[in-house]
Amino acid sequence: MSGESINLKLKVWRQNGPKDPGRFEEYQANDVDTSASFLEMLDVVNAKIIKDGGEPIVFEHDCREGICGSCGAMVNGKAHGPKDKVTLCQLHMREFKDGETLVIEPFRARAFPVLKDLMIDRTSFDKIISSGGYVSVNTGNACDANSIPISKENADKAFDAATCIGCGACVASCPNASASLFTSAKISHMALLPQGQTEAKKRVVQMVDQMDHEGFGHCTNTYHCEGACPKGISVENISRMNKEYLKAKLKG
Amino acid sequence: MALSTLQKKQLVAVTGLGLVGFVIAHLTGNFLIFKGADALNDYAKFLHDLGGLLWAARIGLIAMFVIHMGLTANLVINKIKARGSNYAKFENHAQKPSFSARIMPFSGVVILAYVIFHLLDFTFAEKSGIINGVDQGLYGLVVTSFMDPLHSAIYIIAMAFLGLHLSHSLQSIFQTFGLVSVNRLNTIRTISTAIGVGIAVAYSSIPVYVLLNF
Repeated sequence: MSGESINLKLKVWRQNGPKDPGRFEEYQANDVDTSASFLEMLDVVNAKIIKDGGEPIVFEHDCREGICGSCGAMVNGKAHGPKDKVTLCQLHMREFKDGETLVIEPFRARAFPVLKDLMIDRTSFDKIISSGGYVSVNTGNACDANSIPISKENADKAFDAATCIGCGACVASCPNASASLFTSAKISHMALLPQGQTEAKKRVVQMVDQMDHEGFGHCTNTYHCEGACPKGISVENISRMNKEYLKAKLKG
Repeated sequence: MALSTLQKKQLVAVTGLGLVGFVIAHLTGNFLIFKGADALNDYAKFLHDLGGLLWAARIGLIAMFVIHMGLTANLVINKIKARGSNYAKFENHAQKPSFSARIMPFSGVVILAYVIFHLLDFTFAEKSGIINGVDQGLYGLVVTSFMDPLHSAIYIIAMAFLGLHLSHSLQSIFQTFGLVSVNRLNTIRTISTAIGVGIAVAYSSIPVYVLLNF
């Protein structure tokens, strides 16, 4: 199904490598189908760049259905573009007006170095996860699925936190480049469940320390992150992380 | 042992709460101006006569102020480093941070500047002011100062920034200590804004009272 088509001017951040200072380059995207996704639009632009003998714009992507967390860029100053609660791959060109100029740049944070163009290195997130984002599991036979009672409320909140795809939009949108929403979602998702209690104290302290160590900023409760999160993760999780951290530090 | 950003934030919150306590205590003292010259001057004398206790309180207050600002400055330096390179274009999503949240650093600096001015203006000034040919001490100083509309305006503007600072910071304390649940978030924000506005209005009532009555 094809819709209308629009013409756009793109100002895209081009950076040859981590050490390159980078610059904006302008591209004309003509006859963009409004039912195309943002990444499909970039694919078409890239096809033309390649045909003209240039280097295509590098951007990360995988599932293209909003669940893997690979894609993401700032479009006109907003993480994942103007529409709330969607990733870049699920953003459609019908959200833009004909003749509009789009400024496209990578998520910026010291802990997210740009590898090339719009592609960033999010190893810092992996390090936060590996510092404490796991649970102990007893070996032996698998136990009954419903042998551990969990309240509906906690199950729902844990599940909401677990929907975090780790895309980094929270860091990108935070005026302090803080990873609090991401880290707190990962902490909450385990802290709310009985299975996560064994390492609860160790987990929150290690993950918060790792977050600092990676060079993310602090949270100033501006809640930009919640607005930018494609999964609508609540800042209530940050509140929970703060409480868990204080508890762990006070009780030792 | 180095403090984590989270611990620094929590210390900023605790000292901030202490300073809010001072702001409220100071305000109740100020209200004695409505009872007249003797009430205010007697209260000032009572505070001065505390001697050592007064200095203990002052040192505690200065310590809270220094910790509050020092850790904030440290966090701000850290956050500037955390962004690395700046965006060419940055906009808020539909869910915008409140005005008071966005101007926190600015309101903080305004309050610091005002506190210095205020100390020179009243605390370290000679406590005298002549009203109707009679020197009425501290009461006289306050009244004669506020009879100048410019002086009153500076005071009211400073109090407006204090109110804005508190509107964001009171609700922030709940978030920083993890006392917020989604259901209560809006209530906490409303109460926080009400207290911030209330304190600004209450303080500002004094110069307004002086301007209208003298």
